[in-house]
Amino acid sequence: MPETASSAAQHAPVVQVRDMDFCYGSKAALHSIHLDVEYHRVTALIGPSGCGKSTLLRCINRMNDRVAGARVSKGEILVKGKNIHDADVDLTQLRRQVGMVFQKSNPFPKTIYENVAYGLRVHGVKDKTTLDEAVERSLTQAALWDELKDRLQAHALGLSGGQQQRLCIARAIATMPDVLLMDEPCSALDPIATLKIEELIAQLARNYSVVIVTHNMQQAVRVSDFTAFLHLGKLVEFAPTEELFTNPREKLTDSYLRGTFS
Amino acid sequence: MPPASPTTPGPFGSKLLRKSSRSMLGMDPQKIIKTFFGANSGITIVVLVLIMVFLLREGAGFLSTYHHELEVYRKAGLEFCDIADTPLKQQQQLTSALRRAKASAASDEAKRALGDAEEAFETAIEPADEIVSELKTHATETKELANEFHTLEVGRLQLLAAAYSTSDPTRKADLLKEAELSKVDAPNYEERIAAVIDRREELAKALTDYTTVLGTAAVALPDAVADVKTAVPAHIAEVHAAVKKLETWSWQEPVSFFTAARSFFFGTGWITNSSWQDFYGVVPLLTGSLLISLVALLIATPISVSAAIYTNQFASDQEKEIIKPVIEFIQAIPSVVLGFIGIAVVGDLIKGVSQWEILSWIPGFPIQERLNIFNAGFLLAFMAVPTMFSLAEDALNNVPRAYSEASDALGATKLQTVFRVIVPAAISGILAAILLGLGRVIGETMVVLLVAGNRIAIPDFGDGLGVIFQPAHTLTGIIAQELGEVSRGSSHWQALFMVGILLFVISLSVNWCARTIAKRFEHPKA
Ligand SMILES: Nc1ncnc2c1ncn2[C@@H]1O[C@H](COP(=O)(O)OP(=O)(O)OP(=O)(O)O)[C@@H](O)[C@H]1O
Ligand SMILES: [Mg+2]
Repeated sequence: MPETASSAAQHAPVVQVRDMDFCYGSKAALHSIHLDVEYHRVTALIGPSGCGKSTLLRCINRMNDRVAGARVSKGEILVKGKNIHDADVDLTQLRRQVGMVFQKSNPFPKTIYENVAYGLRVHGVKDKTTLDEAVERSLTQAALWDELKDRLQAHALGLSGGQQQRLCIARAIATMPDVLLMDEPCSALDPIATLKIEELIAQLARNYSVVIVTHNMQQAVRVSDFTAFLHLGKLVEFAPTEELFTNPREKLTDSYLRGTFS
Repeated sequence: MPPASPTTPGPFGSKLLRKSSRSMLGMDPQKIIKTFFGANSGITIVVLVLIMVFLLREGAGFLSTYHHELEVYRKAGLEFCDIADTPLKQQQQLTSALRRAKASAASDEAKRALGDAEEAFETAIEPADEIVSELKTHATETKELANEFHTLEVGRLQLLAAAYSTSDPTRKADLLKEAELSKVDAPNYEERIAAVIDRREELAKALTDYTTVLGTAAVALPDAVADVKTAVPAHIAEVHAAVKKLETWSWQEPVSFFTAARSFFFGTGWITNSSWQDFYGVVPLLTGSLLISLVALLIATPISVSAAIYTNQFASDQEKEIIKPVIEFIQAIPSVVLGFIGIAVVGDLIKGVSQWEILSWIPGFPIQERLNIFNAGFLLAFMAVPTMFSLAEDALNNVPRAYSEASDALGATKLQTVFRVIVPAAISGILAAILLGLGRVIGETMVVLLVAGNRIAIPDFGDGLGVIFQPAHTLTGIIAQELGEVSRGSSHWQALFMVGILLFVISLSVNWCARTIAKRFEHPKA
């Protein structure tokens, strides 16, 4: 995609994690993480279970604020150059900038339309045409519009698992975030639904900067431009995906990729 | 985890099982333990069925007994008298209105005019009144004969039954002789009712004459009693209607079981121990119960639901630790103690407050009765709050965390998340909680018995919302109050069981609705 590549070049990284330590109460979960999320690119986070991928992801939109005692104990995170822990940062605004899709699809028990419109509604948008347009745009970008345009008033929980997950993506992008965080978005889906989402992620990268956590190496190879390998709360290696998978610099990365991990 | 193999129990199990296997005559001990637990849950079901069977058995005889009583009511002519009596009762109301106006009249002249009118009213009705009271005496006599016959007949049938079931021939002969002796003729309704029918025309004429006199007397009424003046034409129409009814009335018209059932379910009077005629109409009790429950629900719902939302979503852990036990503690208050409070505190409080000048705009204020529907509803609300609170809180708790997480991630504020996502997602559970609270309130007895005022009459809805400050009686209260005093097996006794059945059915359906609602909108398993 030449046009995105050229525009990306003009942009500084949307998310900059600067030497960050993070802990749950007294338990340290991340150590000195240093990571840049490039503009309109897909960044994958991989690593063994419990290494802190989700934690890192949830730092970016401060979802960890929900956990009592969880805090960033060192370093900082900048989103579009702004420290997200600054006192004047509005959490509502931050989450409008940084959308999130969860491992298990979690549409609200409302209609399809209301699900997609929810983000705008909570930000005070009342105008019907604005909402209609946003719903259509988001569903189109999530490759759902053709399937669902005739049943926008149907209940969201009546959709298939894959459709529900794409609906959650549509819901997350309705507010036009700069960054889209995805935590193992395909882990509960069958291969065909997974494929659809992967295609979708490639499309989304035109308009959004995506950070995706995945356990599936092939998926990381297929969808991402950059890959970060985490181990025991440390960022072991961060490189362009091709480079990391074909020619890892660290021994740890190599053994993880080979599956000869102890 | 593989299921524990039954043949290789652990050390503890083996000890237990060996011990029991010896005492259980070689039966499979696992089976016995399973049967024991199964049986316990079975017992609850059996008890429920037994309760239903018992209620139905006691109540089942009601319709036929009541049917018989209503039949006698018609055949003996009591119904006839009651039709004729309705205008007479109205007439009494009119005259007493006149009398009151006379007492408060300013001038002697007005007093005299009203006195004359009153006298005219009284003399006009006298002939009809006389006829009706004679007929009433006659009808009562017939009814007594019928009752006597019924009692003897029942006794005789018992003797006969005993006779046919005994194997001792001499005893059998004795019993049969005794039965023969106690045999009496059924009252001859036709002969007795003739005395009533004979006077029908006379009565109709007396009533019609009365309306003519009344019509002229009303014209002369002073304007001071405008309400009486306007009531007269309606009254006259009623009298004419009654006369028509009397003319078409027939003692032979059969009374159907349907009539008996209708008289129970839609009857507006619950009249017992009357020397004239007992009626078991459940409507006054039902309205009382429903009004009280409604008041309780209207008070308890906002309190418990908002408390549940606050506790579940906003309260800190320390606050939760206080709120929950305190609300649950309410449940531990014996209802009779709440009844005390209703009588001693709430009643006086409501009455006192209702006398405040600034509150006089509230319908029904100032109130007359300390013990009334509102008072009972208020206390019942108190009793319903713990149930509704805990269930509503559970419902909120069952909302998958994923919903609030998604809402948070979209930048919603806490309030938005709570009211746009969590409460709507829990709404079915909250509705179920409210319904189960209603079930609790409808079945509650002690408080209503002590506090509702126990007036058996349909509350006067003409008062608008003020109706809730009137006393009432309830389905539960009437059973508690009367069951101890009626003779077993009498129609009154059976009627109370019917009330019990009705109550049971109401509670069951409320519970069923709650369950259906809760099921209908279950959350996907998170
Ligand atoms: N809410 C929490 N409170 C305390 N510790 C937590 C919490 N969430 C995660 N942790 C701990 O933080 C560490 C990192 O967890 P995290 O969920 O980020 O791992 P992950 O890489 O996403 O794993 P997985 O691949 O299994 O999802 C783990 O050791 C975990 O036990
Ligand atoms: Mg994770």
